[in-house]
Amino acid sequence: MASDFHFLEHVALADAAFEAVGDSPSDLFTAAARAVIETMVNPVTVGSVWKRDMGRDDPELPGLLFDWLSDLVFLKDAEGVMFSDISVSVTEDRAMRVWRLHGTLIGEPLDQDRQELRSDVKAVTKHLYKVWQEDNHWKARVVLDI
Amino acid sequence: MKLNTDMTVNRITDQIWEIPVTEKDGMRVPARIYATETILPEMDTGVFEQVTNVACMPGIRRYALCMPDGHWGYGFPIGGVAAFDPAEGVISPGGVGYDINCGMRLIRTDLTLADVKPRLEALMTELFRQVPAGVGSRGTVRLNRREFDDVMRKGARWCVERGLGWHEDLERLEEHGCLQGADPSIVSDQAVERGHSQLGTLGSGNHYLEVQVVSDDRIFDPDTAAAFGIIGRDQIVVMVHCGSRGFGHQVASDYLKVFEKAMRRYGITVKDQQLACAPFRSPEGQDYFAAMNGAANSAFANRQAITHQIREAFSTVFGMPAESLGMHVIYDVAHNIAKVEKYAEGDLVVHRKGSTRAYGPGRPELPKLYRHVGQPVICGGSMETGSYLLVGTDQAMQDTFGSTMHGSGRTMSRAQAKRTVRGDQIRKQMADRGIIVKAVSLSGLAEEAGVAYKNISDVVETVDGAGITKKVAELRPIGNIKG
Repeated sequence: MASDFHFLEHVALADAAFEAVGDSPSDLFTAAARAVIETMVNPVTVGSVWKRDMGRDDPELPGLLFDWLSDLVFLKDAEGVMFSDISVSVTEDRAMRVWRLHGTLIGEPLDQDRQELRSDVKAVTKHLYKVWQEDNHWKARVVLDI
Repeated sequence: MKLNTDMTVNRITDQIWEIPVTEKDGMRVPARIYATETILPEMDTGVFEQVTNVACMPGIRRYALCMPDGHWGYGFPIGGVAAFDPAEGVISPGGVGYDINCGMRLIRTDLTLADVKPRLEALMTELFRQVPAGVGSRGTVRLNRREFDDVMRKGARWCVERGLGWHEDLERLEEHGCLQGADPSIVSDQAVERGHSQLGTLGSGNHYLEVQVVSDDRIFDPDTAAAFGIIGRDQIVVMVHCGSRGFGHQVASDYLKVFEKAMRRYGITVKDQQLACAPFRSPEGQDYFAAMNGAANSAFANRQAITHQIREAFSTVFGMPAESLGMHVIYDVAHNIAKVEKYAEGDLVVHRKGSTRAYGPGRPELPKLYRHVGQPVICGGSMETGSYLLVGTDQAMQDTFGSTMHGSGRTMSRAQAKRTVRGDQIRKQMADRGIIVKAVSLSGLAEEAGVAYKNISDVVETVDGAGITKKVAELRPIGNIKG
């Protein structure tokens, strides 16, 4: 298992909650982003003509993950795009005491006729939000407002 | 009675249950849940945890309340009501929700089921074309920052000034479709970027546009119904449920971050990060209130633009102007909002998250044409089971800070709903019952199946029995548009 996610059944009934897990922070961020994308669309039905490079820093890993996931929600509305894939690298700059993210989002403009759209995520919430390390894995629990 | 909590829950009346302050460290007031013996065991564990978390917040007055449609939200439960002292208390984006001024609008017509049934397919197709819905749906207008600032300041009036509505519409909206005190200067460019293309769009999730029928046998209070323009005889009405779209969502996200920092500065702790709050009279509290008012006004404008599109669709299909079809707005009311309102204690900052203002007769805030009967309260049920029009009461003013239910309330998660039913099955079953559904997402349709919700009639009987709103009419769906 490099990265994985599963949706949580009995948390925040009207919304969508998931737990993501990865062998590294990069894997965790990959898994969590894929969970957000899968909530919004079947990514197999989305093309790859749009690309956006992303960069963010944060002294705290939970804050960095929160903003990374929130970027997906923002771009969906502001740019009118949907995502087919992502790649992301998260590293710790110990000297500067900061976590650095470099990522790429791939997708295409929203197309209701062609894409299998699911739920319109309103926001990443802080309800039960948690990022932690367990058994050599990085984990996160996230509730999305639908 | 087996409840989804270990807390002590005392019966006060047949519809009111109280959790005493001794049940959780930090509770400043008791928590009160409105429910019958049928509904209370259906309420999930989140309701009990969250309403008691709210009862711990600084400056809360009387009770933390949860309405009978309550269920697990984030921060506040959905169905939550809480009032805070403006001098000692707080304002919390978590008590309003991300979808600021998510709300309901009801439009009457002179048409009957006999008029509409032969053209229902054409009508639903035209409504689906005119009112964009679904993930990231975009309207026909893209506003620049200056125009969007005007929307924030003017609300529904911005639309009416551009021909997207009738002047009389404004009289029939909560706060005339414009909350005072909106300040666009403290709203981020990101929020505007998310919202500038979404005016006149429904969104997705549980948002919808529904064509409904009012039959004679489902009118419970004919005099009040008549005052609202409801005459029965299989009359057609149109219900809209949506809010401030991406713009409001971003305003809420922006200020939750501001409040997380502000709480440290003001020494406030809360039981759930999503309850982040700031003193109402602090700079951060006032900034959020002004930004929230702007987002609320954008939601009033959104429902106003949709009203125009609905009138256009009816006009196209029936070949006559909307005026000739009697398409008057009955009312428009928010169910995710924070407002300063006057009660026995004086001014209070009333938070409603998934609950509806329900003012009784005589209140000066009500439109003149309804002041003698009370405020129309619009409660949307699941798309399969129908909705209700109710009326506010003096009892609500005394007991619940002039508040009541907003819908049926979920009992099943979205994932479980999708495992239980398929979207195409629901669409066919509803078609067999004479209800045409147009949906952007079939999985979204399954998530909103009637089986995922409480029976709205049970919920309505609770608030009717408690006297905090009274039944006026039941509205039965014949056509539904979902994102």
